[in-house]
Amino acid sequence: MATLDLNAISKSFGSAKVLHDISLAIKDKEFVVFVGPSGCGKSTLLRIIAGLEEASSGQIVIGGDDVSDAHPVDRGISMVFQSYALYPHLSVYENIAFPLRVQKMDAAEMDSRVQKAAAILQLTDKLQLKPGQLSGGQRQRVAIGRSIVRNPKVFLFDEPLSNLDAALRGDMRVELSQLHRDLDATMVYVTHDQVEAMTMADRIVVLNGGRVEQFGSPMELYHHPATKFVASFIGQPNMNLIPATVIGADATGVSVELDGGHRMALPVAAGTVKAGDKVEVGIRPEHVEVSSKGLEISVNVLERLGGVSITYGVIGDGTRFCASLPGDAVIEEGRNLTLSVAPENCHVFDANGDVLRRQAAPEMVA
Amino acid sequence: MMDRYTKLQMVGIYACVAVFLTFILLPFFEMFMASLRPLEHLFRSPYQFWSDDFSFDAYKQMWVTVPLLGRYIFNSIYISFMVTGLTMIFVVPAAYAYARLQFPFKNLSLGIFLGVNMFTGAVLLIPLYRVLRTMGLLNTYWAMIVPGVAFLIPTGIWLLRSYLEKIPRELEEAAFVDGASRLYTLRRVVLPLATPGLIVVGVAVFIGAYAQQFLFAITFNQTRELQPLPAGLYEFIGYQSVTWNEMMAAALVGVLPVMVIFLFLQKYLVAGLTAGAVKE
Ligand SMILES: Nc1ncnc2c1ncn2[C@@H]1O[C@H](COP(=O)(O)OP(=O)(O)OP(=O)(O)O)[C@@H](O)[C@H]1O
Ligand SMILES: [Mg+2]
Repeated sequence: MATLDLNAISKSFGSAKVLHDISLAIKDKEFVVFVGPSGCGKSTLLRIIAGLEEASSGQIVIGGDDVSDAHPVDRGISMVFQSYALYPHLSVYENIAFPLRVQKMDAAEMDSRVQKAAAILQLTDKLQLKPGQLSGGQRQRVAIGRSIVRNPKVFLFDEPLSNLDAALRGDMRVELSQLHRDLDATMVYVTHDQVEAMTMADRIVVLNGGRVEQFGSPMELYHHPATKFVASFIGQPNMNLIPATVIGADATGVSVELDGGHRMALPVAAGTVKAGDKVEVGIRPEHVEVSSKGLEISVNVLERLGGVSITYGVIGDGTRFCASLPGDAVIEEGRNLTLSVAPENCHVFDANGDVLRRQAAPEMVA
Repeated sequence: MMDRYTKLQMVGIYACVAVFLTFILLPFFEMFMASLRPLEHLFRSPYQFWSDDFSFDAYKQMWVTVPLLGRYIFNSIYISFMVTGLTMIFVVPAAYAYARLQFPFKNLSLGIFLGVNMFTGAVLLIPLYRVLRTMGLLNTYWAMIVPGVAFLIPTGIWLLRSYLEKIPRELEEAAFVDGASRLYTLRRVVLPLATPGLIVVGVAVFIGAYAQQFLFAITFNQTRELQPLPAGLYEFIGYQSVTWNEMMAAALVGVLPVMVIFLFLQKYLVAGLTAGAVKE
C-alpha cells in the first residue's frame, strides 16, 4: 500500500511564500499529474515530497507513515529529473545500478535487477554505452531504469519529457502509461503540458500561484472546471471567456447578456448571483457550430488542420473568440460568421472566477 | 562556418602569435644558447647571436662545479610534489564546501582568502620565520613545504570552487535521493567529473610551488642538502667568476621534468580550461 497524503504543506523561500496549505490524498497505484503554469510551485512541491526540500510546515505521509523528516530512501520514493541527471562518466549499466551499489547489494541480485529493468526499458543492448552515446529518449529511459531498480513505493517525475521533441514525447507518453500499468506503483508526475496531464493522469492537480485550484479526473476537470483558471488551462484550444451581465437568475438557471448584446439562458446553479452582476461565460471552441442565428464573429485567422478548422476572430465588442469547426466548413478570413452553442455546454464564472455548477452536464464519478 | 578566416586574417593571427611566442620563448632560447658557449665567449663584443663554438661541455661540467646539483633538482621536485599533494588534500573538501554548502561567513571567508593571496610571501617572511622557529621547523623540508601550502590553498580553493560549481546540482541530488552520502557522492560522482579541473588546479599549484620555493628556501633553510634548485643555482656564483653557461644549463635541466609533465597533461589542461563553457 503506497498512499501519499500531503497535509497542509506550506513552503516559503525567505519572505516569498511559494506553496500555500496544500493538502492532497493520493491513492495507492494512482497516476497523479501536477500541472500548472511556470513558477506555480510544481517542482517545489515534488521536491518536498522527495525530501530534497524541507516544507516550512505540514506533514507528508506515505503508506500511512509520517515521513516528513525521513531521508528520501526511507520514504520509499525515487525521482526522475527533468535533465535526466545521468552520471556521464558511468556506463548505462552503472547508472542503473547506482542506487543498488549505494546499498551494497550483492552482485548477483544487483545484476538480475539491472537486467530486468533494462529489459523492461529496451536498453539491454545499450548497457555498456555511456549516456553521451545515447539519444534523448534512451537517456530518459536510463533515468527511469535507475528509478525502478530500487522498487520504490512512489515514483516522482519532474517534467521528464520536456527535453524531447514532439514525436518522441508522444511515444514516451504511451511508454510511461504502460510502465505505470506494469509496475502497479503510485506515480506523481509534474508537467506544464496539459496534453500530458489529460492523457496520462488518473487524476490531475491543477496548481496556480502555489495553491491547488482543483484536484480531479481529467474528464471532471474538462466538464466541471471549478474555476476560470482551470477552465482556461484545460482543453485545447483554450476556452473562450466572454464578459457578460446577469439579467435574471432563478432555480432553472441564469440569463445573461454577453458584452456585445447576445442574450442566453444558461442552465447553471445560480448560487448567490443576481441580476446586474458581472460574470464571464465560458464556451469551449469545440462546442460551437455554424448556424443561421447566434453569436456574430468576424474571422481574422483560419487554420485548416484537415479534420478541423480552427477559426480565430472577435465578437461584437472586440473580445477574442476561437472556434473549432469541421474541416470542410465554409469559412473565409475577413468574413463574418454566425455561431451557435448549446446552452448546456456553457460555463459561467462569477466575479471571483469560481464556477456556477452546470446542471445539465455529465456527472462525474471520480 | 565560424572558423573560416581569410588569408589576410590568418597571416595576421599567426603574426600576433609569433610576436607573443617570441617574447615568451626568447629568454629560454638565449638561456640555451648561453649554456652552449664557453664562458669566456659569453661577454665578447660585439655580441654574436650565432657562432661556431657551441658545445655541451657546460652540461657535463656543471655536475662537477656544483656536486649537489642532482640533489637540488630532486629537492625542488620533491618539495613541489609535497606542496601540491598537501594543498590538494586541503583544497578539495574546502572547495566543495564553498561550492555546495551554506555556512555562516561563507563569502566573507572567501574574500579573506583572496585578500591573503594579495600579500606575497615576502611581507610575511619575518612573522613566518618566528612561527617556523617556534614550531622547530627551520632548516627542514617542512620549512619550505608548510608556507608553500599555506600560500597556495586560497588560489586552489578559488580555482576548484568555480570548477565544481559547474557540475550540475541535479547529479548530486539524484545521488542523494538514491541514498548516497555526501562523501560517497563526492568520491563516485563529483571528483570523477571534476578530474580535468583537479588536474588544472594541481598543475597551477605545482607551478606556484616551484616558483615560490626560492624565497622560502633562502630564508628558512640553511641546510645545503635540503636546498631546492633555484637556491642551489647560487653556487655557480663563485668568488672570482660566475659560470653563467653552467648556471643556464643547470636551470634548463632543472625545469625539464616540469616541462615533460606539462606535455603529458596538456590535453587535460586545454579541456579543463574550457570545460563547461558550452552545454553539450
Ligand atoms: N531555491 C529557491 N529559492 C528561492 N525561490 C525559489 C527557489 N526554488 C524555487 N523558488 C521559487 O518558487 C516558485 C516555484 O518554483 P518551482 O520551481 O516550483 O516552479 P515550477 O512550477 O516547477 O515552474 P516550472 O514549470 O518553470 O518548472 C518560483 O517563483 C521560484 O522563483
Ligand atoms: Mg519545475
